[in-house]
Amino acid sequence: MERWTRLAFPRTYMDRQRRAGFLFVLPAVAYFACVYFVPLVESLIGSFYRTLPGGASRFMGFGLYERVFTDPVFWNSVRNTIKLLALSVPSTVALALAVALGLDRLTLRWRSLWAAMYFVPFAVSLVAAALIWQWLYEPVYGVLNHALVLVGLPPQKWLQSLNQVLPSLAAINVWVRLGFDTMIFLAALQAIPGEYYEAAALDGASARQRLWHVTLPLLNPQIVMVCILELIFNFKIFDQVYATTQGGPAGASQTIIPLLYDTAFKYFRLGEASVMAVFVFVVLLVVTLLQWRIFRRPVDY
Amino acid sequence: MRRVIGGAIAVLALAGLLAAAVPGHAPAQAKKIVYWTHWEQNPEFNKWYETKGKEFAKKSGYEVEVVTIPYQGYEAKYLAALVGKSGAPDFFNGIVHQWCGQYDFCDKMPADLEKTWSENLPKYMLAVGQFKGATYGIPIEHGNFQQMYIDVELFKKAGLNPDKPPKTLDEWLAAMKKLSVYDAKGEPTQVGFALRHKGHPVGITDKFLPFAHAFGARMLSPGLDRATGFANGPEMVAALQFYGDLVTKDKVASLAFGNPEDAFGQKRAGVIFRESWYFGWLKKNAPDVAFKVYALPCAKACPGAGNLFPWSNLVYKNSPHKQVVWDFLRFISNAKDDLEQHQLQGILPVWTVNLETPYVKGRPDYASTREMLAQPVPPNYYHPKSNELATAFGEAVVGVLYGKGQPKPSLDEAAARMDRILKD
Repeated sequence: MERWTRLAFPRTYMDRQRRAGFLFVLPAVAYFACVYFVPLVESLIGSFYRTLPGGASRFMGFGLYERVFTDPVFWNSVRNTIKLLALSVPSTVALALAVALGLDRLTLRWRSLWAAMYFVPFAVSLVAAALIWQWLYEPVYGVLNHALVLVGLPPQKWLQSLNQVLPSLAAINVWVRLGFDTMIFLAALQAIPGEYYEAAALDGASARQRLWHVTLPLLNPQIVMVCILELIFNFKIFDQVYATTQGGPAGASQTIIPLLYDTAFKYFRLGEASVMAVFVFVVLLVVTLLQWRIFRRPVDY
Repeated sequence: MRRVIGGAIAVLALAGLLAAAVPGHAPAQAKKIVYWTHWEQNPEFNKWYETKGKEFAKKSGYEVEVVTIPYQGYEAKYLAALVGKSGAPDFFNGIVHQWCGQYDFCDKMPADLEKTWSENLPKYMLAVGQFKGATYGIPIEHGNFQQMYIDVELFKKAGLNPDKPPKTLDEWLAAMKKLSVYDAKGEPTQVGFALRHKGHPVGITDKFLPFAHAFGARMLSPGLDRATGFANGPEMVAALQFYGDLVTKDKVASLAFGNPEDAFGQKRAGVIFRESWYFGWLKKNAPDVAFKVYALPCAKACPGAGNLFPWSNLVYKNSPHKQVVWDFLRFISNAKDDLEQHQLQGILPVWTVNLETPYVKGRPDYASTREMLAQPVPPNYYHPKSNELATAFGEAVVGVLYGKGQPKPSLDEAAARMDRILKD
């Protein structure tokens, strides 16, 4: 209590410093609380209640959890989300790393130009990106099939195929996210002191060995961070699915968040949708913490 | 530094005080009632409310503002606004059993207006605006049921007579085979039937139901309380087998084609089943397509004038202007306005008296509309959870289309799921 009083009425220099610090972080804390924390708590509470017409609620205990976790449609969406993750995350991270390594070798002017080009898709609205790709993938008039036919390959069904829909969506994700991840890797690469490479070269290390024993270990924090960001981005995928396939064909691209959206707003089952929201939060939290603990290794040369 | 910050704060404070103290010079805004619609394909129809609102404003002081919400995801936007109250429309285009049944957002129609509409609507349309015996909505589209649009040129090219449409599903399938053109690998480059296979399963269900009804099947029991025995009954299984075969065995429909409306408009499909609004859409977007409209083909039964999406105008019960809205709806509830508004967009009007006007008689769907209305009314599924039920059912249908499952087990699974939804 006294600490709060001194925060409000500082007596010493240190008190004033603490108050200044508190005021600096207050907007961020308030924003986080309003936009993330309150809805999270609301979702948690909402997951135990069934909303009735007119806005009334009925306490259900864990009934809604049981309903959601025994629903094959929900688990199908989880499976699809994981498949999409498996397709998108490694390819985005690997490609971004490769592009960043390539850009790092260019002169400043060319590097900036190419980096800007890679970054442009990230600035495009996700819905717009999805619609652009929907046209590229169009089986009859799409550019991709046109190109395939030109080189003598058979046209594909892309978003309208049970087997190709998830890889096709993953390609959109890679296109959208590549620039952002590349920027992070590029910034990190440029922060690695040149002396490390010189020392390694003097020791007779080949280019591959320098990459493996100098670059990648020093990029570890960024690689972990990018993996976590990609994991979160792909787990929460919504716009691309909703704008292109709406979960189809035949549920082959139904992922968790579009299902959550339909459950809440199309079927007005806010309780079940809250259960899904809690599930997403817990999974992301656990996976992120695990990833952080397992893969993050402090490197010091 | 401290002085600079202090000065800046003082200037900002002074500016704020002045802004609050000086009376506004902005022009006085006209009072408005707000209408939301997701009928983005019918802009002229929607705009008419604004035009008529200006006339209404002369006696009431209220104009009408129309907000068109994109169809994709419109429910979420409606729901957020209607639950949140602030920013909600005063009236909107919606489905009675959802917005007044599943939710409780609708104001009941005043008795005098209810009388006007009950006296002037075709009898089959009365249920469109009602839920549990109470009347809430004003139906906005007559002919809100699918009919058969045929491409005259493609029919002729296939050696078919466009003036003698197929009357039974067997005849229809034979015609679809003649209309389909295949490439060297046996894949159709032109199909007989433009089939809906994309998008939300609710839409898939909507487009399949005429086939189901033609086979004598129904999705739910007459009391709308049971799916097992109906959604997976032998007639429904046969209907879905027939529907799936159109793609997998007969190859008269293709999953490689995009929207069925576009495929028909691009002359890549000889036949499509759609509602009366499609006439206006084709005129505007594919004016070079010569088409005719006929009643849907029959099998064990005729599909009849049924729909899954009975659209009507509803008044938001928490609107502070709901009386003004009812006055406006009263103002436009007459045969002349009904005809004017629907004619603008090429939609069939709803007043009975307008169904024999030169505009309606001159439409290509005049005879087919009469023919379909003369058929027995098919089952309706105006249940508060119709979206969720139709989704569960549509997933089975689309699964069969894509070869993901066989009709019987897919429908068994769907029926069990639908029963859970109904009991829940």
